[in-house]
Amino acid sequence: MTETPDDLDVAEAVVSTRRRPSIVWLIPLVAAIVGAFVAWRTFSERGPQVEITFESAEGLEAGKTAIKYKDVEVGLVEEIHLADDLSAVRCKARMVKSFAPYLNEGTRFWVVRARVAGGQVTGLGTIFSGSYIGVDPIRDGARVREFVGLETPPVVTTDQPGKHFELHSHRAGSVDVGTPVYFKKIQVGEVVASELDASGEFVRIRVFVHAPHDARVSPGTRFWNASGVHVSVGARGVEVGLESIASLLIGGIAFDTPAMDGGAPAADGALFTLYESEAATRREVYMQKAHYVAYFDQSVRGLVPGAPVEFRGIQIGEVRDVKLEFRPETGEFLIPVLIEIEPERIRNLGMVDPATRRDGLDQLVKRGLRAQLQSGNLLTGQLVVQLDFHQGAKPAQIVWGEPYPELPTVPAPLEEITGSVQRLVKRLETLPLKEVVTSMNEALQAARDALAQGQRTLATASALVGPDSPANSELRRALVEMSDAARSVGLAADQIQQQPDSLLFGKEGEQ
Amino acid sequence: VTTALAADCARCHDCGLLCRLPSHSAHSGRCPRCGAEVHERKPRSLERTWAWLIAAALCYLPANLLPIMKVTSLGRAQADTIMSGVVYLLLHGMWPLAGVVFVASVFVPLLKLAILFGLLVSVHRGSPWRPVDRTRLYRITEAIGRWSMVDIFVVTILVALVHLGNLATVEAQTGAVFFGAVVVLTMLAAESFDPRLIWDRSEARTP
Repeated sequence: MTETPDDLDVAEAVVSTRRRPSIVWLIPLVAAIVGAFVAWRTFSERGPQVEITFESAEGLEAGKTAIKYKDVEVGLVEEIHLADDLSAVRCKARMVKSFAPYLNEGTRFWVVRARVAGGQVTGLGTIFSGSYIGVDPIRDGARVREFVGLETPPVVTTDQPGKHFELHSHRAGSVDVGTPVYFKKIQVGEVVASELDASGEFVRIRVFVHAPHDARVSPGTRFWNASGVHVSVGARGVEVGLESIASLLIGGIAFDTPAMDGGAPAADGALFTLYESEAATRREVYMQKAHYVAYFDQSVRGLVPGAPVEFRGIQIGEVRDVKLEFRPETGEFLIPVLIEIEPERIRNLGMVDPATRRDGLDQLVKRGLRAQLQSGNLLTGQLVVQLDFHQGAKPAQIVWGEPYPELPTVPAPLEEITGSVQRLVKRLETLPLKEVVTSMNEALQAARDALAQGQRTLATASALVGPDSPANSELRRALVEMSDAARSVGLAADQIQQQPDSLLFGKEGEQ
Repeated sequence: VTTALAADCARCHDCGLLCRLPSHSAHSGRCPRCGAEVHERKPRSLERTWAWLIAAALCYLPANLLPIMKVTSLGRAQADTIMSGVVYLLLHGMWPLAGVVFVASVFVPLLKLAILFGLLVSVHRGSPWRPVDRTRLYRITEAIGRWSMVDIFVVTILVALVHLGNLATVEAQTGAVFFGAVVVLTMLAAESFDPRLIWDRSEARTP
């Protein structure tokens, strides 16, 4: 029982040499997981790379210049290189991932530097911190990764509340991007863009009015150019008016709504006319013009370009051109008259938009709308084109041809008068003129007889009052006596003048 | 030469008492004098060193790729990695400083990783190659380990000192954490490596 196990010949248990791995292996495992996580995060946070083209890289530095939105860094310029043709500078920038949905077609980039424009000093902070790239993100639109940077910062970024309006003007004047927009002499907006229309006829000016002032703009609002000084001399002396000193230097646009024309706030992008001055807002200027041609087949003597086109006596347009046209196929001469109608002259017409104008006009022609030549001035013989409803007119349709739609016409009232005169003459011709003439001859003979009778009567009368007639000598005597009487009356009058009392007391010499 | 290992003896790490280990199969016991754990060789030395070394190597990449410091000056922020800082110093003519930063922050950690890797591989292969030199390399590694923390010190001092509001602010970035981890992990790796293993194999072959 005291034998040690060593002395016994027993089998030896197998000792397992396999050991569990040390707990220290957790450390590299954790390091690997953390490293992998950091790597994944770094790569997953890598946003898209964009390329922005600028005219110059002034103030930009690769690896340092940031792209900021609302002063939050949303990207970094990684590379700056010249374009192949050396005309521009291309900046490759890495944006943060969360900004990727905002890099669309309308997104704008510009370099923020210190600058003085539009009467304002902006970007002073960049003098010390260096320039950065500003961005105006747009959520909707096609995905774009290449952008053309703006050379000047946009006046209005999309995050600002307010509305854009479009003004049409015959000339830009001193209006430029950044020009202030005033309402009751308070700046409420700016000019965003100013460009010539594709037609070359007018200037399109886009203005932005900040909220809440944008509600002050209604469809009846008038915009006018408030640049410069207006001086007016009136009964009360000289009046000088200007919107602000700043507007004197950099121009300005003001707006107001006449009390009568107020209404609901205008929609975003609504179209307005820019008047030359505040006074001009009271005169109407029409931007919308619709051209029509009307064919007349009678004389248009007196119809000149510039003649008014009227509807029931109210001018709605003017004649632009009068031509003569020969139609070989029918052999007739036609006179096309080109007229220009300004639909805005008619309130609530609803045809300002060319698309709806067509249907509306078709409807009006169906109801009898016709063009007609009418005498505008009887003395000078000037003609006007009159539009009105003619109930009895032959059915006609507007011909939507090129280049101008054709309005149906009815003959002029002048022509109608001529026609009825002709009818009158014809009727006169049918009258029994010969009999009338013979009876008139007879009447004349009778009259001649009556005349001879009269002559005889006159001769008798002259014999009665002739120079040797007794009546005559009687008359002469009577006259002599009358003159004697007159003389004695004269003497008596003298007497009374010298001695008025002689009337009572008799002549002095006699007493 | 008789080694303690051959005589089934081990020296206590704490009090230095040489004591006999009870049986041949037992690798560890307690020191009869101070009660500290006594083992012939550091237990699982190679395995642990490998683990620390791999962890350090894994951290070395992000430490060098990620920015360690962000300087915001007048609203303009700039994040720098170690290498971009070295390049910045070089470009501004401060090449001695650039040299110090490069040696302390890039070269030395890499050197330590390489030395430890070399030692581990040589021990695994039981290489008899220059055991004295290899031991010296190990000593160097252990000695310079703490000096690699220079970068971290600079960052911590700057972060604490430069708080000038809008004028200038310094912030530490993720890279600094990884860099600190590399230094600590390499020190742990050096610590867990038992240099006696270099000699065990060479002694075993020479007799």
